[in-house]
Amino acid sequence: MRVVLMALVAMAASLVLAACGGDDDVGGGSDQEVEVAEPGPPVEGEFNISNWVGYIDKGEGSTIEEFEAKYPGTTVNYTEDVNDNADFFGKLQPLLDQGESGGRSMFVVTDWMAKQMYDLGYLQEIDYADVPNVDANLKESLRSPAFDPERKFSIPWQSGMTGLLVNQALAPDIKSINDLFDPQYKGKVTVLTEMRDVVPLMMKADGVDPEDATKEDWLEQIDQLQEAVDSGQLRRFTGNDYIQDLTNENVVGVIGWSGDIALVENDDVEFVMPTDGCVLWSDNMVIPVGAPNTAAALAWADFVYDPKVQADISDYVRYVSPVQGIEEVNPTLAKDPLVNPPEEFTADCTTQPDPPGSAEDVQEVTEAFQAVVTQ
Amino acid sequence: MTARRRLVPYGLLGPGAIWLALFFVVPMYFMGELALRTGTFTEGFQSGFEVSNFSDALSGNTTQFVRSFVYAGTATLIALLIAYPLAYAIALRAGRWKLLLLFAVVAPFFTTYLIRTIAWKTILADESPVVSVLQALQLVPEDGRVLATGGAVIAGLTYNFLPFMILPIYASLERMDTSLIEAGKDLYASATQTFLRVTLPITAPGIVAGILLTFIPAVGDYINAEILGGTGTSMIGNVIQSLYLEQRNYPEAAALSFMMMVAILGVVLIYLRLAGTGAFMGDEEERG
Repeated sequence: MRVVLMALVAMAASLVLAACGGDDDVGGGSDQEVEVAEPGPPVEGEFNISNWVGYIDKGEGSTIEEFEAKYPGTTVNYTEDVNDNADFFGKLQPLLDQGESGGRSMFVVTDWMAKQMYDLGYLQEIDYADVPNVDANLKESLRSPAFDPERKFSIPWQSGMTGLLVNQALAPDIKSINDLFDPQYKGKVTVLTEMRDVVPLMMKADGVDPEDATKEDWLEQIDQLQEAVDSGQLRRFTGNDYIQDLTNENVVGVIGWSGDIALVENDDVEFVMPTDGCVLWSDNMVIPVGAPNTAAALAWADFVYDPKVQADISDYVRYVSPVQGIEEVNPTLAKDPLVNPPEEFTADCTTQPDPPGSAEDVQEVTEAFQAVVTQ
Repeated sequence: MTARRRLVPYGLLGPGAIWLALFFVVPMYFMGELALRTGTFTEGFQSGFEVSNFSDALSGNTTQFVRSFVYAGTATLIALLIAYPLAYAIALRAGRWKLLLLFAVVAPFFTTYLIRTIAWKTILADESPVVSVLQALQLVPEDGRVLATGGAVIAGLTYNFLPFMILPIYASLERMDTSLIEAGKDLYASATQTFLRVTLPITAPGIVAGILLTFIPAVGDYINAEILGGTGTSMIGNVIQSLYLEQRNYPEAAALSFMMMVAILGVVLIYLRLAGTGAFMGDEEERG
């Protein structure tokens, strides 16, 4: 008994000491040098990937099983535990800061989050010689995005358009973002908690180009959002839980993500390209620092860039595919403007921007937006 | 008394004390230390003594602070009004149905908290029968709604924490000596008098425990406001979540958490003082 007690006390004491000893900064990123992800062969063993919900068909004969069949001895643990960029970052940041990934070989985050993680030293770089399919099949328009001009640390998983999801039977008139603020839809419309989607869309509807927008432009739109909250126009701020609200007809129009249309179980609801254009973004596969089995991660990225494999994924998710060549595999699918939007369809769209200025400016805009969301 | 016997109480206290030290006191220390740091996320938060984190955290969020206590207080009151008659019926009138009814009270716990709360979105949906009935009764305006309002958040809190109110009250009613009620009647007390002067005081410990078990988790809850709330229904938990994850202002998030804890502690202490710790402990003397 006494021995057990003493052991416990010793454990407690060492924990306190260990914890008090390091007077490290909290946050601030890692000082380690950027590594390049180590390729195979061999490709085998456990491979843990975190992705967003509904981003792959996990059923019988799925892409995951095909991958395991192609690389015998590989076990894929595919976890859908990314629900929100900021939440996921918050959960992982203390680990990444220690150079660990929590056992993940790969995860999928949106452009701006990938950039922030890279700048903090949390990601490994990717050599395109290790992923020949990506090199060959990545769409031209996605090869040099502003956040990662050389695609050094990110490979698009799926791309998407942020626009309007509208119940055509109940609100056929919603065509522009401004129509969401029409008093006849009071309490029946929602917007996203994702500032980088909502604010640029509102700017576009007001004739401000998000790419040239100043901090003041961002803050002005946030003020307008505040007014819409005060008047009761906006029902709530959502993640993709607007799917349930659209299905139940609690709301008639929302700012939402194109591919989610596949998950709304209500035939009246359609994706509407706003007359003022949409916001374009990608969710990217990235390889974190401390990732085990980077060989499998690279093999996986290469595998899903095979047009045959990609066509299966696209068929299920209905987001914009970053892979060219699926039209030869599945011509009907390639005609779907949500999967393979023609150039004129997205002509007025803007790549998802960050608020302009220094880190402090971005922080100021973020705080202003969050103050509206958490009222 | 041998030395061995004197050590027994400490031995019994030991595991709990070490558990609290490791998983409460140590984290509290870090939270307090973090709440006083300065700097920004990108440059790192350095050790410091930035007391203004506390005032900053409070200044923009007093509404949410007050709202948390109002929502949790209302939910606790409603839960008490529902739970007491129910517990009374189960303990004293249910007969052979007692076990089944108790099981029904506990049954929702077989489903996770999150799923149960999401289920309420369907129950309270704008076109749902529940809302239609409320509209017909003019409790909700014709063009009004329940979901995405403060009312829905309070309903969710009440529902989710109701069993914590029922069970302690049930336990205190169950072990009450029912011949005391008969004695009250023999002494010509009316049913109301008997209830107020016999049953209620005897079950006071159950009520006090139930109120604490309901109020404390409810006031810090953020799931109900997140899922059932709308604009302008955020509770302090939602603000802390935003400060920590969205704004990455770890010190202010820690400061706000700290203040929330102190506020709850204050409210609970005042409450216990008023209710009397004796009632909480089930102290026979104090009941008189």
